[in-house]
Amino acid sequence: MIRNLIAFFAGKPAPTGTAQALKAVEDSVGAGLPAKGPGQAAQILLVVLLSLALPAWADEVRELDWPALIPEGAPVIPPQLAPLHDMSQLSDALSAESAPPARQQAPDAPVVKSLDGQTVKIPGYIVPLEVSEEGRTTEFLLVPYYGACIHVPPPPSNQIVHIFSEMGVRVEDLYQPYWIEGKMQVRASSSELADAGYQMEAEKIYAYVLK
Amino acid sequence: MYLLRLALASLANRRFTAFLTAFAIALSVCLLLAVERVRTEARASFASTISGTDLIVGARSGSVNLLLYSVFRIGNATNNIRWDSYQHYAQDPRVKWAIPISLGDSHRGYRVMGTTTDYFSHYQYGRRQHLELSQGREFASDPFEVVLGAEVADALHYKLGDKLVLAHGVAAISLVKHDDKPFTVVGVLKRTGTPVDRTLHISLGGMEAIHIDWHNGVPARGAGRISAEQARTMDLQPAAITAFMLGLNSKIATFSLQREINEYRSEPLLAILPGVALQELWSLMGTAEQALFVVSLFVVLTGLIGMLTAILTSLNERRREMAILRSVGARPWHIAGLLVLEALALAVTGIAAGLGLLYAGIALAQGYVQANYGLYLPLALPSAHEWTLLAIILGAALLMGSVPAWRAYRQSLADGLSIHL
Repeated sequence: MIRNLIAFFAGKPAPTGTAQALKAVEDSVGAGLPAKGPGQAAQILLVVLLSLALPAWADEVRELDWPALIPEGAPVIPPQLAPLHDMSQLSDALSAESAPPARQQAPDAPVVKSLDGQTVKIPGYIVPLEVSEEGRTTEFLLVPYYGACIHVPPPPSNQIVHIFSEMGVRVEDLYQPYWIEGKMQVRASSSELADAGYQMEAEKIYAYVLK
Repeated sequence: MYLLRLALASLANRRFTAFLTAFAIALSVCLLLAVERVRTEARASFASTISGTDLIVGARSGSVNLLLYSVFRIGNATNNIRWDSYQHYAQDPRVKWAIPISLGDSHRGYRVMGTTTDYFSHYQYGRRQHLELSQGREFASDPFEVVLGAEVADALHYKLGDKLVLAHGVAAISLVKHDDKPFTVVGVLKRTGTPVDRTLHISLGGMEAIHIDWHNGVPARGAGRISAEQARTMDLQPAAITAFMLGLNSKIATFSLQREINEYRSEPLLAILPGVALQELWSLMGTAEQALFVVSLFVVLTGLIGMLTAILTSLNERRREMAILRSVGARPWHIAGLLVLEALALAVTGIAAGLGLLYAGIALAQGYVQANYGLYLPLALPSAHEWTLLAIILGAALLMGSVPAWRAYRQSLADGLSIHL
């Protein structure tokens, strides 16, 4: 860059005062040094000038801390006590417009009591609740469908089976259905707080394959 | 037996090449096992970090993001949520327990978490284990008390009664500190092998107190400053928290409560099932894991091919050796056996040295990896899976050894005795 600039000046008839001065310096320096061209002499000059300027930069560096950027006696900004970015009220304003939230249709849906104690097998999707250290799912909910089901309310409680498995199952893919075999326990309850619905201690778990 | 002795003696004669070949195999075996071990341990430590929590609720972002910042202290929250929302769900009849958490500050690179004492009684990790104190007590009503995770106490040599200053933000070297409000260490938790070890736990009131005069994004100056003493007398009820964890009475209610929280009208919230989010995280990492595994398999293959090349090249030089062996009565299959045994010896040495390297590496790096990445690498014997991998490598080495063996088998006696020009 500098070389080009100097070549530009050196290669043309000097149109300005600066260039003339440069030329003069070149002559004087070039006389004493075995410089090959006027451009090189100017480069040496630049280096000399720069090295002279260096001590000025090496002057004491002032260390700042962040409060030093606030001027002395600056007016104290009145504290803003409302939370920042609080858009949570927005939905309150809109709530009159929106439909009621999708609730579970029947949190204490009736169950088939005759299934209690029977050994059954049922296919479904595994929703992991507990994962063991070996990466095996030891407790999960079995549901009839899984994935993008946000358009409809969640399944009622008699469409979910709460399953424990001693061995566990290595779930690689949430969208892979499994057959679960085991003894069904049915717990009917009138309140949604109790452990209502179906529970199962899985004896066999294997992938569901389309035939 | 004499064949093996001959093979070993022959290898000893070419010890430098043999050493290099075995070393290449050792390095590749070490790499493969290290990748396997880090992979399985990372999974195990992730899986054992949270247990018994049915829902995690935070500001709307993504399920993996919420899981990472609330449980693993990786990354940052996108937004806080209102205290009212927490109260609303903590009092829901379906909810058994609720733990509020508030994040965002740190102490020398370790994250600070504001919570309540419910955290100590309800948070579970591993196989439904509860947190336990190794010394001291839980924080009490005074806002400036801190309970340390095991690793924080170990690494920074803190003991009960020490005072420490929390820093604003989560950088390891912080320039802005809450140095006007020091905290006292009142308890240290037992080691869990989870991110809890690397966390400083303070009360929500403490979190509120250190930020009480920070309303303009900088610490207040002059008269605006509120001292620790003044802060103690103020109302330290937080207006916002970062996330909360819920334990439910019935797991069957998980979906309905999750849906209700996601559609909560007063505030946009996100509720996730930790098990599902963990599974999603794994399926994200699965590709990278598999890529690493494949790369290390190829490195092993390169090591074995290196061995094959070394033996094949030596075959030419050793034509005379073979011919002499044949002339004193060795059968062609003796020669072939010799070469297979040579390959076997190299592979076994390589595998043994690789295991040695791995254990030396683990012993050396254990502390550092635990401190910096929170990953505990046990000095355990190889698992069944690892033994299988080693057996496969040995099998592959034998298979490769049979290539030069086959060639030597085919070489005639005359071939080695006549002079080639």
